[in-house]
Formats: sequence, structure tokens, C-alpha cells
Amino acid sequence: MRADRLRLLAGLALAGFLILPLVPLALWSVAQGWRFPALLPQAWSGRAWAHALDPASGVLASLALTTLIALATTLLAALVGVPAGRALGLYRFRGKGIVTLLLLAPAVLPSIAVVFGLHGLFLRLGLTGTVAGVILAHLIPVLPYMTLVMAAVFSRLDPDLEAQARTLGATPFRAFRAVTLPAILPGLLTASLFAFLVSWSQYLLTLAIGGGRVQTLPLLLFSFSSAGRNDIAGAIALLYILPGVLVLILTARQVTGRGAALTQGLRP
Amino acid sequence: MTRLTLAGLAKTYARSGPATLHGLDLTVESGSLTALLGPSGSGKTTTMKLIAGLIAPDAGDIRLDDRSIRDLPPERRGVAMVFQNPLLFPHLTVAGNVGFGLRMRGLPPDRISAEVAAMLARVRLSDLADRRPAQLSGGQAQRVALARALVLRPAVLLLDEPLSSLDATLRDEMRGLIRDLQRETGITTLVVTHDQAEAVALADRIALLLDGRLAQHGPPEALYSRPASEAVARFFGGVNFLPGSVREGRFDCALGALELAFAAAEGPGLLTIRPEAIRLGPGPNQRGAEVRAATFLGTQTRIDLTVQGVALEALVAPDAGRALSPGSRVPISLPPAALWVVPRGRAATGGE
Amino acid sequence: MTDRTRTALLLLPALLVLGGLFLTGLGLTLLRSFRYLPALGMTDPDLAAYAAILASPGFLASLGLSLWIATASTLLSALLALGAALLLRQSFPGRALISFLVQLNLTVPHVVGAIGILYLLSQSGAFARLAHAGGLIAGPADFPALVNDPFAIGIILLYVWKEVPFITLILLANLQTLGEDHESVARSLGATRWQAFRHVLLPMLAPGLAAASALVFAFAFGAYEVPLVLGQHAPKALPVLAWQAWTDTDLTLRPEAMAMAIVIAAIGLALLALVARGLRQGGHDAR
Repeated sequence: MRADRLRLLAGLALAGFLILPLVPLALWSVAQGWRFPALLPQAWSGRAWAHALDPASGVLASLALTTLIALATTLLAALVGVPAGRALGLYRFRGKGIVTLLLLAPAVLPSIAVVFGLHGLFLRLGLTGTVAGVILAHLIPVLPYMTLVMAAVFSRLDPDLEAQARTLGATPFRAFRAVTLPAILPGLLTASLFAFLVSWSQYLLTLAIGGGRVQTLPLLLFSFSSAGRNDIAGAIALLYILPGVLVLILTARQVTGRGAALTQGLRP
Repeated sequence: MTRLTLAGLAKTYARSGPATLHGLDLTVESGSLTALLGPSGSGKTTTMKLIAGLIAPDAGDIRLDDRSIRDLPPERRGVAMVFQNPLLFPHLTVAGNVGFGLRMRGLPPDRISAEVAAMLARVRLSDLADRRPAQLSGGQAQRVALARALVLRPAVLLLDEPLSSLDATLRDEMRGLIRDLQRETGITTLVVTHDQAEAVALADRIALLLDGRLAQHGPPEALYSRPASEAVARFFGGVNFLPGSVREGRFDCALGALELAFAAAEGPGLLTIRPEAIRLGPGPNQRGAEVRAATFLGTQTRIDLTVQGVALEALVAPDAGRALSPGSRVPISLPPAALWVVPRGRAATGGE
Repeated sequence: MTDRTRTALLLLPALLVLGGLFLTGLGLTLLRSFRYLPALGMTDPDLAAYAAILASPGFLASLGLSLWIATASTLLSALLALGAALLLRQSFPGRALISFLVQLNLTVPHVVGAIGILYLLSQSGAFARLAHAGGLIAGPADFPALVNDPFAIGIILLYVWKEVPFITLILLANLQTLGEDHESVARSLGATRWQAFRHVLLPMLAPGLAAASALVFAFAFGAYEVPLVLGQHAPKALPVLAWQAWTDTDLTLRPEAMAMAIVIAAIGLALLALVARGLRQGGHDAR
């Protein structure tokens, strides 16, 4: 059928478009010398990978640091965002629209708007150039995702569930542990994945607050790329997208709700 | 006025999707209000969507009078469908919704507003013309959906379970409105429903669909009192069944030979008697019965009887049943005009 | 404990983080853009920094460039995403793979995509090599400048690459909620396939599309690392210019950096407020 073939063609074009920018990165990571105008690298080599995976090069340390920052940010965001999500999702109160918009704003406003002022504040607090400072800075764009996803999760939860547990003799804490937590756990996992990925992708906040002393993967990637080390940049780039790919494969469709959570926040 | 004919209409789904149709033949008479009745999964909605052109049949034809519309796109069929949910367009006002089809036809704006105003007056929604769908009640939304289809004066109007999303009082009102509008306009109308009481109350004729086949088509009384098959009788429910066979115009069964009023094919068959047809007291086909229980139901009393070892259920006027106590014996009679023999087995056959 | 105190307690930590980090950061940026810096002895706020940037041709050129980048990226992404969503809504062989790729792309950080685009489109990049192999160009200099170029083509392509999946997934979620019944109704009321799309589906998708597009615009307008990798030397995209002013050894330029950051924030906020208001009004009318 003509329509079917047309769809397939459009689909192939879309797939090509989506994969295209990643192809040179992958090729560079295994290339040894790839001068213009060769279409493919003259020789293949594992040198870039060997360098990236050599503990002495610092790439692995940077990977570990990036992971640590993303995990810590996610944990903090969960501690702060789950209660807020509960308030937004489960209860009605005056000013809810404003609070929602306020909590959404940091994810929507470009980091450049806050980062200069934040740097001044952190300078006074001795947080610039520290991992702790970077984690706190990452909390700004991460918290909205956690809060809004959890608000959506709680809004689908029946508030009477906890009340039922209480009438059956559970303390408030036990009721939360035994009834609410299992119910929100899948949603919390999704929110945590978003949070992790948002922190994982930060560039500007790390650069400004870390002041070059907190070298996460994107900073390292940029410095290798601008130094013309395309091969090592390719290897780091692949290492850098690996967690996202893994998460996606492990959780199938769950990452997709990220944009939905944001646009939902803009709506009444 | 248009006659709708379905000829050998078939649709099979690859996966376990909606119900399949196996060669459906049905003629919906011009200007009639016909109910397409059947349990869920019998292929009713599939039939509707085939007529509307929203899905394509595997085989068979769909004709309006003598013109096949099988290969026409939905918008050129002259068939308007009202879905189970009102499905109003949320970004348009009530008037915008009702005028939608006219706008698609490219009518001039003043004609559209005149026709929309007239239609809204007919469904008593004139003062809601500028409302958005979200501000309407369920019943109002359903009326807008009906107006939106009727304003196009379609050759055939399809209504898919139009009352199922309404509560009891709104349902009566809507049913009356559908009947009135249909009579006024004379538009050939096919209503899908799974509720036999609804079909009987609403339609001039009922087409009963069982397992993707037409089981019976005729006036409501015919399906009630003269079912074409055991399956039809069982679908309408509330019937006593007695196995036996027809011999020389009489029915031989556990109750002996019973007089019949209607001609029936010789050989094995199944006798059907509606509970309300059983008479207490002497008369034709008289038998002695033992009362097992009498249950007062408000407007009627149900009496469970045992007659020569056979259990029968009778419905009588409340006064008539009051005196009966369990264990007492009464004579009953089975009027021959109320005895109807259907072929045994669940095989469904068409025709009237 | 009343309901109100309970709600307040639940919200308190998030509001503290929000206030302590986000609002303080934004507030300090704002104060300093008014040249209020008691530490440096500047205690009389004024608008000199804003006057200075508005008078500088470099700022206006950067503002124009960033508006162009954001507008072009948003329009292209929205259009392509609409097509992609309508495509992925149908079933056809290979759909699962494409859906996977769309989601995969969402997890790729912008800076990775930017470097990928650089290696793809630069004058010695993969496309230039293909053009050479095809005999279209003799050397790298013949290949058109698609990155670090005056029209910001590389930057726009990167945003389109990143944001098409973002908008597509939002639209697909909307399409799934809407179902196909409204279009079926429209068809049975005499609308052609195109009319059903134009008059029914598109207006129903519009709120989601507008919200997603506003987010894309705000991001493309204010992101730093993408024009850093793919932008030209001058004029620079506004965030890069602001960063450059902030890191300049001349500390008196800092208020100008802050003023530029505030301009970026204000334009982004104004657009989002506009869209939020539009949705809210539409919401009150339509829902």
C-alpha cells in the first residue's frame, strides 16, 4: 500500500535523523587518525577507550564524581520533593496554583538567570569549588521534576487508603510505610530517574559553582573536544550517554513522562 | 427517506479485537426507527462503524436505497453517527459544535447560524448556545451531540447506546426526544443497544444480533412472543422451556400432549411459555399443579409451581397469588395461543 | 494539626530550598544588575548597567541572534514533532524501534549532541567528507559553514534534533488521551480527513503543543553550552555573551552580565506567563 510505504519512509528518515549526530562520535572513539577527506577512519584503534578507561587519565574518576553528584542530588530532591508532591497532589489549598508555578519555575527558567547571583551567595558560604555546592546548585533544576511527578503520583492515590490503615490500627508512620510507600514507589522510581538524568546533564551550574575544580563528565568532554582530541571526546561522549541508555532499556517507557510533567505544571 | 441495506456484511479482526461479523443481512426500512440489539461482543458497534465508514468490511455491501456506499469515505456517505459518549469538540461552543458539519460543507455563515438556531430550539438548548461543552450536564451534552448529527439531515442516523451514559430520569427524557425527533424528521434511524427493555421501549423494529449473525428481525412483540430460536428466547429471558416434540399439531412433553394454536414443524422441538401467560384456574391445556412458593413482587406475584414433576414459573396479579400457600394444589391452564415452539439447540436463524 | 498547617509543613522544605537557592540566586542577580554591591562600596542602585548594554551594539546583536535561534528552533521543532507524533500514532513496521530512538534521544545531554553535530557538519566533518567523495567540493573551505556560522544553523539543528523528541512525546501522550473518537465523529459529520485534522485534532492538541513549544523556546533562548560549542565568535548568543562579561577580568562589567541574565530570564518568563495564561483561560472556557 502506498500510505504504508510512505509511513515507512518517513519513519526511516526520522530514525536516521535521530541517530545521525551520534554516529561520528562512535566512529571517532575507535579511530586512529581520521583526516579529511577519508570517509572512514584510516585505522581502527582502542587507544581512546584505553585512555578513557585508564584510572590515571581521570575519566573514570570524573564518571564516579558525576554519578555521586547525581545520586546525592536525587536523594536530596526526594527528601524534599516527596512531601511537597504529597501536598500538591493530595490536598486542596489556597494559592496552590501559585505554589505550583513557583515550584515549576526553576526547571523552566534558564540556569544563567540564577547562576551569577547563586555564585555570590555560595562564595560567602564557602560553597564555591566544592562538590556540596554543586549538589545544592543542581537541586534547583532537579527539584521541580521530583515535585511535579510526585504530585501527579499522589493525585492518583486514594487518600482514604491511609485512613483505612489508620482505622485498622496503624500509626501514621506505619500507615505511610505499609500502605502509602508501596503505592507510590513506582512513581518515586520514575521521578528519581528524571532527577538523576537532569542532574547528570548539567553543564553551566557545575562550571560556575564548581569553578573548574569539580570536573564532571560534560566539562571533561568539552575540554577534550575543544582541545581537538576528537577520539577521546567520542569515547567520553559514549560513556556519558550510557546511563541514560541503560535506564531507558531497564525501564522501557518511563522516561517519557518528563516533558508531560512539565507541561502539566503549566496547565490549570 | 432512505432504506438501508446490509448484504453479507463481514468483518474479522486479526487479533482479539472487537466482535466479528459473519455475513450480516439486514434491511432497515425507510423512515423506521430500528434497534440493533445484542449482548456485548455480538458485533453491534462494528456494524455501526462499518455503516459510518470508519472501518472497511472484508466482504459484503452497504446500500442506501439502491446505491452502494461501501467505497465512499465517511464524509460522503450521508450517514451521521452519534457515539456512546457525546464527544463534543471541547474547543467549540455548543453552537459551534452543532454547526460543525454545516461548516465542513462550506455553507455560508448566516445559513449556518439560522439552521443551528432552529436545531437548538428543537432540542430545547437555545439558551446554552454560547456555552462550552465542559459547562454542560451529561444529558445536555448528549442532546447537543444528537442535534449536531440531525442538523445535517443525514439519510441515515446511527445512535450508539445513546442512553447508556445517562441516569434513569434523563434516560426517559432523552428516549422521548429521540422518538419525537425521529418521527418529525422521518430519518431512517438505527440505534445500537444491549438493553432489551430499551430496545422495546424505543424502536418500531428490533434486529437482534447474536454472535455476529442476525438472529431475528421484526416488531418488538414478535421477538417477545414468537422467538425464532431458543437463543432468541433465552436472550429475552423470563421464559419457561419444555423439551418435547410436535406430533399431529400437538406438543408431546412431560406434561402430556398440549394443544397448539400455531402451526409448528413436526419433530423434536422446545416449547416456550412466558410466565405471565400461565393462567390459574380451569381452561384449555389444564393441569394440576403444586405451589412451591409465592413471592410478592409489588405489581405482580411470582408463583413457583411443580406440574407432573416439571418446574414452571408463573406471574399473576398480586391478588390472585395472595391466597396461595406453599404445598397447596391449584389447577392451571396453558392457553394454546401462548405456546410457541422453537427448534432445539442454540442455532440462530434469520428471517421474521 | 489542621489541614492548613499540615499542608504548610509538607511544603516547607521545598519552599525553603526554592527560596534559599533559586529565589536568592535570582534576587542577587537582580540586585547586582542594579549595581547594588555593598561589598564593593556600590550602595546606590541605578540602571546604568541596563543603559550600558542597551547602548552596546554587541548586546543588541546577541539578543537578536538568540531570539532568532529560539524562534527558528521552536517553530521547526514544533512542526516536525507534530508530523512525527502523527506518524508514530499509526502502526507500521519499525514503529517500536523509532519510538525507542525518540526516547533514547531524550536522555542524551545537550553537550553530547552539540559535539556530535560539530563532528557531523563542520567543514572537515562527516558531511563535508561525503560532499568531497561525491565530487561536490575540492576542500574543506568549499563546504558551506553550517557550524560556528552567522545564521546559527548548527545550533538550530541541534535544538531541533533534541527538542523534536521532547515535543513528540508530549504530543503522543496527548493523542493517546484524546483517542480517535473525536476525529471519527468529525468524519461522520462530513469532515474530510484534512478537515478533521485541521478543525478538530489540531485545536485539541494546541494547548499541549503551545506549552511544550514555550518550554523549548525558553530553553533555546537561555542555554549556554550549545552556542558555546556550535556558535560563532561574534556576535555570540546572549547567554555566552553574559558569561563572557561575568568572567571578564574587568569586574565593573559584572553588573552588565547580571543585567543580561535578567533580560534572558524576563523574556523567558514573559513567554511562559503568556502561555500559562492562555492555557488557563482556554481551560476555564473549554474545560
